[in-house]
Amino acid sequence: MTEPILVAENLTKWFPVKRTLTQITRGERTWVRAVDGVSFSINKGEIFGLVGESGCGKTTTGKLIMKLLDITDGRLHMHGDDVTHIQGARLAKHRREVQMIFQDPYSSMNPRFTVRDVLMEPLEIHKVGQNLQEREVWVREILNEVKLSPPDEFLVRHPHMLSGGQRQRAATARTLMLNPSVIVADEPVSMIDLSTRAEILSMMRQLQRELGLTYVYITHDLSTARYFVDRLAVMYLGKIVEMGPAGVVIDRCLHPYTQALIGAVCEPKSGRVNQIKDVPIKGEIPAATNIPPGCRFHPRCLFSVPECWEEVEPTLVDVGGGHMVACRRHEDIEKRGAAARTSDASLGVRRSSFEA
Amino acid sequence: MKGARFSGLRRFWDEYRQVKSGLIGIGLLVVFILIVLLEPVALPYRQANERWRDINYWQDSPRLALPVWVNWFTSKDYPRSTVISEPKREEVATGTLRVITMEVPYEFTSGHPPSDLYYKLYLTGRASIAFEFIRPDGEKVELRRSTAVDGAQILRLSAIETLQERAYALGAKYEDPNVAKSRNPRMIDTMGVLFGQAARGIFIKPAILDGTYRMRIQVALVNEQSQLNKAEFVVLGGVSGILGTDGDRRDLWCGFIAGTKWALLIGLLTSLISVVVGVVYGVAAGYFGGWIDALMNRIFEVVLSIPLLPILIVMSAVFNPSIWIIIAMMCLFFWVGPVKTVRSMALQIKEHSYIEAAKALGASHRRILFRHMIPQLIPYSFASMALSVPGAILYEASISLIGLGDPTIVSWGQVLRDAFSSGAVLQGIWWWIIPPGVAIALMGMTFAFIGFAMDTILNPKLKTR
Amino acid sequence: MAKERVLEVRDLELHYFTRKGVVRAVDKISFDLRQSETLGVVGESGCGKTTMGTALLNMPTPPGRIVGGQILLDGHDVLKLSETEIRRRVRWETISMVFQGAMNCLTPVYTIKKQMKETLRQHREMSRQEMDARMKKYLNLVGLSDDVLRRYPHELSGGMKQRVVIAMALFLEPKVVICDEPTTALDVVVQAQVINLLKDLKDELQVSFIFITHDLSIEAEVSDRIMIMYAGRIAEIGTNEQIYGPQGPAHPYTQRLLAATPRLHEEVAELAFIPGTPPDLVAPPTGCRFHPRCHVVMERCSRDDVGLREIEPDHLVACWRCFND
Repeated sequence: MTEPILVAENLTKWFPVKRTLTQITRGERTWVRAVDGVSFSINKGEIFGLVGESGCGKTTTGKLIMKLLDITDGRLHMHGDDVTHIQGARLAKHRREVQMIFQDPYSSMNPRFTVRDVLMEPLEIHKVGQNLQEREVWVREILNEVKLSPPDEFLVRHPHMLSGGQRQRAATARTLMLNPSVIVADEPVSMIDLSTRAEILSMMRQLQRELGLTYVYITHDLSTARYFVDRLAVMYLGKIVEMGPAGVVIDRCLHPYTQALIGAVCEPKSGRVNQIKDVPIKGEIPAATNIPPGCRFHPRCLFSVPECWEEVEPTLVDVGGGHMVACRRHEDIEKRGAAARTSDASLGVRRSSFEA
Repeated sequence: MKGARFSGLRRFWDEYRQVKSGLIGIGLLVVFILIVLLEPVALPYRQANERWRDINYWQDSPRLALPVWVNWFTSKDYPRSTVISEPKREEVATGTLRVITMEVPYEFTSGHPPSDLYYKLYLTGRASIAFEFIRPDGEKVELRRSTAVDGAQILRLSAIETLQERAYALGAKYEDPNVAKSRNPRMIDTMGVLFGQAARGIFIKPAILDGTYRMRIQVALVNEQSQLNKAEFVVLGGVSGILGTDGDRRDLWCGFIAGTKWALLIGLLTSLISVVVGVVYGVAAGYFGGWIDALMNRIFEVVLSIPLLPILIVMSAVFNPSIWIIIAMMCLFFWVGPVKTVRSMALQIKEHSYIEAAKALGASHRRILFRHMIPQLIPYSFASMALSVPGAILYEASISLIGLGDPTIVSWGQVLRDAFSSGAVLQGIWWWIIPPGVAIALMGMTFAFIGFAMDTILNPKLKTR
Repeated sequence: MAKERVLEVRDLELHYFTRKGVVRAVDKISFDLRQSETLGVVGESGCGKTTMGTALLNMPTPPGRIVGGQILLDGHDVLKLSETEIRRRVRWETISMVFQGAMNCLTPVYTIKKQMKETLRQHREMSRQEMDARMKKYLNLVGLSDDVLRRYPHELSGGMKQRVVIAMALFLEPKVVICDEPTTALDVVVQAQVINLLKDLKDELQVSFIFITHDLSIEAEVSDRIMIMYAGRIAEIGTNEQIYGPQGPAHPYTQRLLAATPRLHEEVAELAFIPGTPPDLVAPPTGCRFHPRCHVVMERCSRDDVGLREIEPDHLVACWRCFND
């Protein structure tokens, strides 16, 4: 479990913004700094979560890993090989190694295709399998794997004839066709009904154990992330602000932004209806074209001191146990947090009167 | 898989049925296709296609005859054409001279005189021929005496130079002398007089004399070798065929039928080629985006802004006017039709995550274009094709109308052109102008209706529900 | 609770007449809404929760039609009123709605002021000053400054637009505000702020809210009472404490949904899920509609139709397991 499979060093993606005439004449350029220097290392067989609000660059990071976008700066290593600017046959190999599950199961499959066509496609593209029979056998095997059985019933269906959950299973099956080692899952359950969400996640986890897969799980939902991932990275405006084992990051978060995120999460517990939620954050998220100097979170931070905007941006520092945080005031914050936690006894909820 | 495809078609048909105009369009299309399929049976003149411009082929029909169904609407019938082959012969031999007399009784009861009548004789050797016209009231008009040698001899009433004088002489016997004097023998209605009641007013407004007319022809065969092989007597009526005939005696029904397949061919081929090109072009522009899109858009705009008709005229004038060149030229300009819409649709389709998913799987651009994007556009392409058919047909008709059409085919545009150049409009020969005009309009309507119906179903913006 | 009832819904039925058949999207639903409370309506997609919301305003989306039932507003049946009367006296005057994605429906070419004024003008005769004062009052109430009035929608963030839409739903001072997924498109932090806003408004304005969402966690934060819908019917109605409290909900569907919801501060080995998919409402299953997916199904569940019954004060359930007969 310690062998890193995917390593990103200072991964950066800037998108050019269309310039106005005056900007062109002045030679100015503005950039959307979607991903602005992200470093992480994902171990083999690990579920790595990227969490953040919309526009924080988590999906762009996923696409950079997929090599669907060109990397502006930084390095990306896969199995120890530098894959930052690969092309041709090496890119084709990378495409087989890394697969993606998309957020919207309704639009991630061509509506004119049947499930068979969808699953055959990766095999056709990479010319896997000697003949049609061989491919067909493989397709059936994978369908069984994602529990779309009997396969014959599903092979002939079009995506619109499947429920949301079944669609996401089919989409997962497609990613498995080429025996990948890394799967980037971009909000795979956010559009799926609650009652089947857990079913999909448990299927994904089972596959991960059986096939030794590594997942990059991208989500805005901290609760599912807590449940599903091993390690978590919280992103804000294109940068990772806090990273570590999921339980640690959520239960004893040190970055003020993570704290705000966690304070904002709703929980299905009684006794909250008459309380006003404590969301320790101010203002609105700035545009990615205009990132504040110093610590990029300082204008919204309740803990910020002049150093935060006068000095250079803090980098991730390990505070023990692989828990990393990019905040120069994390020690003060930790002291306060320890005091607060003791008073917040969690309320146990009896799940079901019929179970047990 | 089959079942699913068919159910898609089924759904489409279920929706299509709701659009009335679409059903009319389909109905008309079926009729046109039936016409093309049944052409060998439906053509009264088998070689009408190949010999449309061959005068000899059409000589047995009357000139500018009305359609036969005109008789259903008038009290005064127009006579139909009648052929009497091998009339009875009476042969009298005096030495080597043999005189064959044929007298054909022709029962005539019409509201109008026939347009022409003639004998057709097939001779070997030398003969002299006399042609006499005997009316029911006993008046005889000797029409012609002539000699002939070998081959087919046509004795056409209208071709006799002295016919007018003879007719005048006949009329003058009965008409008011003052009236008769004021008439120019060259200006009288010859057939009207010949078939008119012998009474006053025969020159002014001849009433038709019903009864049995006799055409007597005497063939004097000079020597032994001379033979009369075959004889035929023909009365050319005032009506002929379903749509009448034109100034060159051509059957206009044949023109209509023969023109149908060309109209279909020109319309469908042009729209097929141009829509295929346009759709691929538009999708490629939308998919690749960036400078490729910008460049392709500029090219598109340039082509769009060139007027087609002048170019077509020049091309037809420079090259031998051929239908294939016309079709090719139209394709060169018609492909711009679907580009704008297809490009914007491609921009939408591109945003779907299955396109990104295909990319993530490593699919090539070609695969994404042809497997993922273009199939989405097939329904629109069909609608677009249907809508561009009328344009192609109209352009061909316009080119033909100004006389630059392909002379080896029969098209509705060319029939119209002949009508215009013969002054059919001024003379009120409606049956020469209206059918091809209506045919062009109907063919255009057919595809416009189908196209609109498909558009209503496939274009979500027009969808009311 | 002795609070006054502002809205009573009795046997409300709304059907969609589609080519495939009649979809019984809302099937004989009855509930009450009390003065200044928030009633949460939860259910999976396609359970009829949004349809029910539009039915309360008597504006079903075609091909839907209200085919039965009563909507009593101060004892008068809304469904018996003419369309003009509904428009004059009910819609927006007494019941208003924040539609799903309404914040994206602000016209991009007009300023917020113009759009708010338009709504106001259609309902009230007011002088310009009065209008301005009222618009400002309600914008301030939802936590926005006056200068938002001069802005165009694209100049506002998602959270601000959602606040504008809520202000517009409030400024005719209705008794009931229906909010359909008002926080779904928003980011977590903004979502929490909007939830806080709704809580404030409820206390301040004495308005009743109907809060429609698919997310059980959000209901726990905002709703005094929660109504769980399944396949066009009500499975359970209970107070926040009855549903989320230590005792847990009574209906197996609610129990499973809660067990399927991941918790932020708890380590859960395996979440529960409900097998199968919601039924086709053209031909729903006989008996209890949940029985094909239920983990504690009994023989009579597939046979006998089950209605809502009160098992304790304010707690109504439609499940044979919970009844003694």
